[in-house]
Amino acid sequence: MSVILSCNLFLLSCSGNKTENKQQSKNNRLTEWKFVRLISLDSISPIGIVAQNNFLWVSDVANNQIVKINLDGKQLNSIKGFQRPMHLDIDKNKIYVPEYTSDTIQIWDNGTKTTLSIKEKPDGIGGVSVKGKTIAIADFYNNRIILQQDKKTTIIGKEGHDDGELYYPTDVQITNNLIYVADAYNNRVQVFDWEGNHKQIIGWNEHIKVATGLKVTENQVFIADFEGDRVLIYSLYGKLLQILNNNFNQPTDIEIVGNTMYVVNFKGKSITIFENK
Amino acid sequence: MKNTVNIKTGIIGLFFVVAFLMIPNSSNAQATETAETVFIKVEVDGLSCPFCAYGLEKKIKKIETAKDIKIELEEGELTFNVKNSHQPTKDELTSIVKDAGFTPKEIHFSKIAFKEKTND
Repeated sequence: MSVILSCNLFLLSCSGNKTENKQQSKNNRLTEWKFVRLISLDSISPIGIVAQNNFLWVSDVANNQIVKINLDGKQLNSIKGFQRPMHLDIDKNKIYVPEYTSDTIQIWDNGTKTTLSIKEKPDGIGGVSVKGKTIAIADFYNNRIILQQDKKTTIIGKEGHDDGELYYPTDVQITNNLIYVADAYNNRVQVFDWEGNHKQIIGWNEHIKVATGLKVTENQVFIADFEGDRVLIYSLYGKLLQILNNNFNQPTDIEIVGNTMYVVNFKGKSITIFENK
Repeated sequence: MKNTVNIKTGIIGLFFVVAFLMIPNSSNAQATETAETVFIKVEVDGLSCPFCAYGLEKKIKKIETAKDIKIELEEGELTFNVKNSHQPTKDELTSIVKDAGFTPKEIHFSKIAFKEKTND
């Protein structure tokens, strides 16, 4: 009986590995990003970038505005009056703008600005991620993520350098069942479940200098290494797939639209564009 | 008649002289304001990180009467001014800078504004 059970378990584990390997192999095939061009943003000092339909929104921290640009980098218009806007998010056509100075999140909805109610008191909001009624906030100076759900608030992480601890988080992204955190000055990305349990570390072996921004797609994780002037690409399992080393100048965030990657450069005041060939 | 005109002219002239003396001299006002203001320059390492730089700005903003806060990311400098009555001590500033995640290199106090850097 136990022999049959063992065999079944063995077969099951083999089939699991096969599925994972198949997925990883698919991911590997998907990763061949090639440099296309660099677009100047003139006087814009970008931090965050998000896509809305066929446009991009960039937060301009130095000039307290968010700027709408087309996919060729042409500036279309801007919304002023934000207090040091950082990593943005878009959900259902509403733009969520974290204000670093006021410790609030402003919601820009078709010409109207409202303020999101935050149940905890953050100190320096570096980034926000929204998925329906769930909102994750990167609370830079409190070294934590505030996960705000309908009637529940979960605090993820505390100051430190061990697994599950954070050191100045700057960006966050919610996926269907996980939360990815740019754990900037721990030089890595950390992954948690929605209950706040630590699941995984990504990027440790590559000696990231400052993990300032991240983007998670359905099969890849992109990390902007601010001081290292590079973008690192991993599978969702944390396997390194590609490192892009050139044409960056203090990259802070990444957005993917179809087969195109847009990376904003803070010091370079520019966007670096790559295509997945 | 002539005397009446002279008296009227004298009164009007006197009125203008008094009015002129009552208007505060703008350069005097500016001088007073400058005299009441202290200019502060903080030099720190690692100001290139925007999250840290604007974090320092955020914390400096909390100092009462602090204004004209300027950050020079390239130079690693932050300048601002406050009224004399709210001038923070070097220790208080050091604590604010450390709280923002930096180690201060130098802190300067001045009675005159610091020269702005020009981009050549």
